[in-house]
Amino acid sequence: MKRLLSIFLCICLLLSLSACGEQTLGAAQAKKLVIWHDKEDAVIAALEKYLTSATPDLEIVFEKKSSLTDSLKLVGNDPSAAPDMFIFAHDKIGVFAEMGILAPIKPLLEEDSLANYIPMTLDAATYKETLYQLPLYFETLLFMYNRRYMQKEEVPSTTDDLLTYMKNNTGRGRYGFVEQHSTAYYFAGWIHGFGGSIIDENGVPFPNAKAVKDALNYHSQFVALMPGETEYNTVNTLFLEGKADSTIGGPWMVSSARAAGIDLGIAPMPTVNATGKALAPYSGIQGIYVLNYAAKHKTEAVKKLLAALTDPAIGIDLAMASGCAPANSLCYDDERVAKDELVQSMKATAEIAVPMPNIPEMDVMWTVVGNLLTDVNMSGKDINESFDAALAQANQLIDAMK
Amino acid sequence: MKKHKRDVIISYGWSFPSLILIALMVVFPIFYTAYISLTNMNVYHWFDFAVVGLDNYFRALFVFDSGFLSALFATIVWTVVNMVLQLIIAFVLVSLLNIQKLKLRKIYKTLLMFPWAMPGYVSILLWKTGMFNTQFGLLNQWMKKLGYEAVRWLSNDISAFICCTVVNLWLALPFMIMIMDGAMQSIDRSYYESAILDGADWLKRTRYITIPAIAPIISPAVIITVFTTFKQFDVVYLLTQQAGAKTGSGFHTILTYTYENAFITNNYGYSSAISIIIFILLLVLSARYQMKEGDR
Repeated sequence: MKRLLSIFLCICLLLSLSACGEQTLGAAQAKKLVIWHDKEDAVIAALEKYLTSATPDLEIVFEKKSSLTDSLKLVGNDPSAAPDMFIFAHDKIGVFAEMGILAPIKPLLEEDSLANYIPMTLDAATYKETLYQLPLYFETLLFMYNRRYMQKEEVPSTTDDLLTYMKNNTGRGRYGFVEQHSTAYYFAGWIHGFGGSIIDENGVPFPNAKAVKDALNYHSQFVALMPGETEYNTVNTLFLEGKADSTIGGPWMVSSARAAGIDLGIAPMPTVNATGKALAPYSGIQGIYVLNYAAKHKTEAVKKLLAALTDPAIGIDLAMASGCAPANSLCYDDERVAKDELVQSMKATAEIAVPMPNIPEMDVMWTVVGNLLTDVNMSGKDINESFDAALAQANQLIDAMK
Repeated sequence: MKKHKRDVIISYGWSFPSLILIALMVVFPIFYTAYISLTNMNVYHWFDFAVVGLDNYFRALFVFDSGFLSALFATIVWTVVNMVLQLIIAFVLVSLLNIQKLKLRKIYKTLLMFPWAMPGYVSILLWKTGMFNTQFGLLNQWMKKLGYEAVRWLSNDISAFICCTVVNLWLALPFMIMIMDGAMQSIDRSYYESAILDGADWLKRTRYITIPAIAPIISPAVIITVFTTFKQFDVVYLLTQQAGAKTGSGFHTILTYTYENAFITNNYGYSSAISIIIFILLLVLSARYQMKEGDR
């Protein structure tokens, strides 16, 4: 028995080693496309349904990966382990393009197929003048409120109004407004509202130091009126349980808010009194990427799939399925999309939103800004000292990337 | 003699597939990391990396700054505190489990093994939201009932250290209890009977029979646990330092500190150099321990 088991194990080992060798693609394999993603079920169900009818001769397999980017860093150039394509936000384009695993998208598309795309989505998907992602939809943060507690006339148009509302409506376990105040993705809107940015297009961290410090200083008044811990689960639960009157959250919160029976209102972002600029959150452009191997060896299948995805029909399906805003402007001609409050709010906010930087240096800035916010908001450290420490850490980490 | 030689060759022949697997899964990654640490493998040279000598090691010294040294000190304190508490608590619980004529012994044992059955990631996040969360955590619900203000348990260094220790003990105790229980049950009862006849009390029986008898059996488990505790990442990171959910505590172990100051750079050459230095640090500690064991 032991001998048989040993022989079996030896055979398994040899087979797995032999599988590492180069293989030529059969006809069926050339039509099979594996797509990794980390999206919610509604988005993938809409894509699957549409692609089944739009590309019946292709076999498309969607695989959900929770740590998609880390997995791609490890196997991105290994055809036996990597997918053919993947769906992800645009902010990792720089990292993957520099690694050399992405294929440029334009040569795989028909001419003029991008003519109707919203320019902001194409700009965000472009790195060093090359388009590496076919945008599908975009999302951004929205100002949401519970109509049961915040009346329409109380919806703040400026940040000072919001602060006054918070002062009047916070206490005894209730909050006027909650947000993930110490998370870079959420605080970016405040920095932009003060005219600053986390990093510029040349990879320089905090190009406008004063704006960041002003934003931190002003924002601290709001932090004092929010719970100490404001990570994703706490903020969501407070809003969904009706303990917070308003919040800034993503479109992914909408379905759970409606399911929780919240009478949900969506309003434009308040304007910062000191600058006259609205809080401008980051926008994320979700789209599909093609890996080099698939672009070279499964060219026809990839072209067919991309052509199908440039059709406005899929944008409309996605908007209806999950409330996301399509990248193709033709989708907004559809009556259902035009009437959808969520999609229209997203489109309106996207006009002021700032696409997340897609340069590789941004990868370390999430941590740097997170540390800065934690120091100032949660540990009560001095803003100037914390900012200097964050700038030094940013420079050290960016230098260490090379 | 010839037969012995043949037996040895046959034994190695049968072990060969497993030795290959061990080489692939344990030895190869260490050597490969050492090789990568000598290259410039990073985002900009992912596939076309070249050997750059000891550059990464010189740069790594910048990470070993005052922040790293305080993280190293915190890691040593963390390891010592956790080990001492684990040994004491496990010993007390196992002693109680081994009381003669104890009823429902198997149920208690199953309950004590329960934390081991749950994935660590889930357990840690359950502790974070279910127990320590300022708004909804059980601890603050009790505080409110008692008329006290809500406490941010994970916001300062000392309370975060205590909370992390509690969670780590919860996760690690089943292993120590299992090993210690096995060791204690292997002690011949006649020793205790003789000791009782000689008038030895519980303390003396523990000091002169139980501890010397279980020490050699549990020492491999202690060594394993010392290293797992020293290179602990999950508990500290997920409870206090997780990106987007930081709590304000500055408590770092060397791994959480180096993660934030090196691993997020996507510079594999540089990160590998730091990993190798930490690996050597652990190797030195391990060698010192082995030498002490050998002296005994």
